[in-house]
Amino acid sequence: MNRSDLRPILREKFPPERTYLLPALHYLQEEFGHLPDWALQTVAWHLRVPASEVYGAATSYSELRIEAPGRHVVRVCNGLSCWHNGGRIILERLSDEFGVQPGETGTDSRVTLEETPCGFLCPMAPVVEVDGRWRGRVAAADIPSLVKELT
Amino acid sequence: MTSYAQLHEAAQESLAASTRVIVQVGHCSQAVGATQVAEALQAELSGHSGVELIIAGCDGACFAAPQVIVTTPSNNIQRYSQVSVGDVAELTATLTSGNTPQQTEHPPFVKGGRGDLDSFFAAQTRLLLTRCGYIDPTSINEYIALGGYRGLNAALSRSPEEVIQTVLDAGLLGRGGAYFPAARKWQAARAANGSPRYLVVNAEEGEPGLFKDRHIMEGDPHLLLEGMLIAAYATGASETYIYINAEAHLSAQRIETAIGQAQDAGLIGDNILGSGFDCQVTVRRGAGGYVCGEETTLLDTIQGNRREPRLRPPFPAESGLFQRPTVINNVETLSNVPIILSDTTDPPVRPEPVEGHAEDASPVLPPFVQGGRRGFSDLGLDSAKGTKLICLSGLVQRPGLAEVPMGSTLRHVIYDIGGGPPPGTDLGVVAVGGPSSGVLPPTELDMELRPGMLHPSGVVMGAGGIMVIAEGVPVIDVVRQLAAYNAAESCGKCTPCREGTPRMVQVLDRLASGSGSTTDLEELRYLAEIIGAASLCGLGQMSGGPINSALHFFGDELARLIS
Repeated sequence: MNRSDLRPILREKFPPERTYLLPALHYLQEEFGHLPDWALQTVAWHLRVPASEVYGAATSYSELRIEAPGRHVVRVCNGLSCWHNGGRIILERLSDEFGVQPGETGTDSRVTLEETPCGFLCPMAPVVEVDGRWRGRVAAADIPSLVKELT
Repeated sequence: MTSYAQLHEAAQESLAASTRVIVQVGHCSQAVGATQVAEALQAELSGHSGVELIIAGCDGACFAAPQVIVTTPSNNIQRYSQVSVGDVAELTATLTSGNTPQQTEHPPFVKGGRGDLDSFFAAQTRLLLTRCGYIDPTSINEYIALGGYRGLNAALSRSPEEVIQTVLDAGLLGRGGAYFPAARKWQAARAANGSPRYLVVNAEEGEPGLFKDRHIMEGDPHLLLEGMLIAAYATGASETYIYINAEAHLSAQRIETAIGQAQDAGLIGDNILGSGFDCQVTVRRGAGGYVCGEETTLLDTIQGNRREPRLRPPFPAESGLFQRPTVINNVETLSNVPIILSDTTDPPVRPEPVEGHAEDASPVLPPFVQGGRRGFSDLGLDSAKGTKLICLSGLVQRPGLAEVPMGSTLRHVIYDIGGGPPPGTDLGVVAVGGPSSGVLPPTELDMELRPGMLHPSGVVMGAGGIMVIAEGVPVIDVVRQLAAYNAAESCGKCTPCREGTPRMVQVLDRLASGSGSTTDLEELRYLAEIIGAASLCGLGQMSGGPINSALHFFGDELARLIS
């Protein structure tokens, strides 16, 4: 997809008003997995909002991605209930297994490993999100199969 | 034009008496396989008449998830906890053999035992969560048949001023953390000039440790819609926004479905129930960020700006969304409103019946959540009526969502409901209210959960998150985590919070690494005071809570870090 493909889609989905900025950013992330520069500029053009302000808004939300992640995104919850219930160990193990530091994407683009402050499913602690799906009551013993799944 | 009486009658007629196999599928239970269990049951049960599969929300017994509950027309009820796909064949065999499931003390695959579930529920007082987990959240008929939208009907037969007075008299305080009288906001926005007026439902619930609003939206979405409509009517708001947390996909789905059904039933849109009241609803999704739950930030987010709070005054009641008079209420707050209005129409039954054995139970609701209940104003404290939803997690045997009268103690929640720490472990630190509140030692468990300061060092109930941490975890680790969260979430608009919250983390790191000095403890106190006094919004203002409470209750432990 390029700018000229995106423009008619935006026109169809969102009236050209600033209040549709966040819904439009959600759409981009769903479509591309992140927010490419050119797409942000196209949204700015469509909504008549300065591109700098679109970028400002886009970078201020923790769930929106400016950079493309790896083929898989693994997020480990570091909320209090998860962290002290095995979450810390799970993150260390995953970091070792994937050879990636938390917050980074491996050079082979296989996995982006991240910490996230809360998945809001604390009673299922510790929780790990794999490609948008949460897994609860994760044990260290589950790690080998999880690592194998993600190719 | 359909009247409420007609809606209610049609809803009751639509419900068939059948055996209901209820699978509780929520954001939490999805993480432990509830969707797969529901799919397996669907496959097994297709073609069997008289057995209805219901995909419900969750009832809060998260430790038992995924749960399957089987109810028969004669009100036999069987609960299965921690059900896996492998259990499904056995479960359906009992159902389809023609034998109604018997009430046995320990069915073969109740892991953990029934006793746990009984203790978990018996120690609670449920007012908001009576239907959550037992009704079909995608069926408006089930909600209406059980008396749903009766509160709205009652409200529409009165003037908006009378509705405001009713809710003020009931003593409903906002459940988002500030505990401001909900109807005062309605009154202020109603009195303000400007049109249209807006009502915004704050379903951002971005505070770590919380999962309560989501349970209502997933399990009983019409309860929220009904409360929202009553509040909009009282405020004179013709447009409402429901702003739902980025992670809460299932909540958004079920709320959208519920909105569609309410529109079809004439409960949302123009001339609601023939009253002349018009109200439109728009759902918006958040994109992460603790500060988005701050009400003025939330408004700017809807308008398409960066996530930053506004200077006040003007307050949202005068100049809020699109600079129009706006009321922002939390999900839990609004969910109390239909109950308050229903109470005044049809006084609640007293006294509370014995749990589990109501004889006139409806075939929809399991008997233990059925029958007479106490009203909103009969529960709680004189200064804070009603119940509070508490999100209990961490080192307890029964983590989950609990509902207790305002004024219940931490001990009651952690031990009676949660079962305390598992054998062989001990409680070390209790973090109450998330990163904007504080930490407590085991000696403070008789503290009552109520609005306002629980302890002058900065401990507040917040929105109701309680996280229990094991003995042996250094308190500095806990405090550093909360402080690091505040620093990461600071939006950067005001200097004290942007510069101060990372400084707190630096000092805590120095202490944790053993290179701290006595002046560091003073500096923490000083930072907490400055950031608290000078920050623009609650995130900064409350960021000293974890530090001040730790200095107060765990001062010796922190002092030992200084060599």
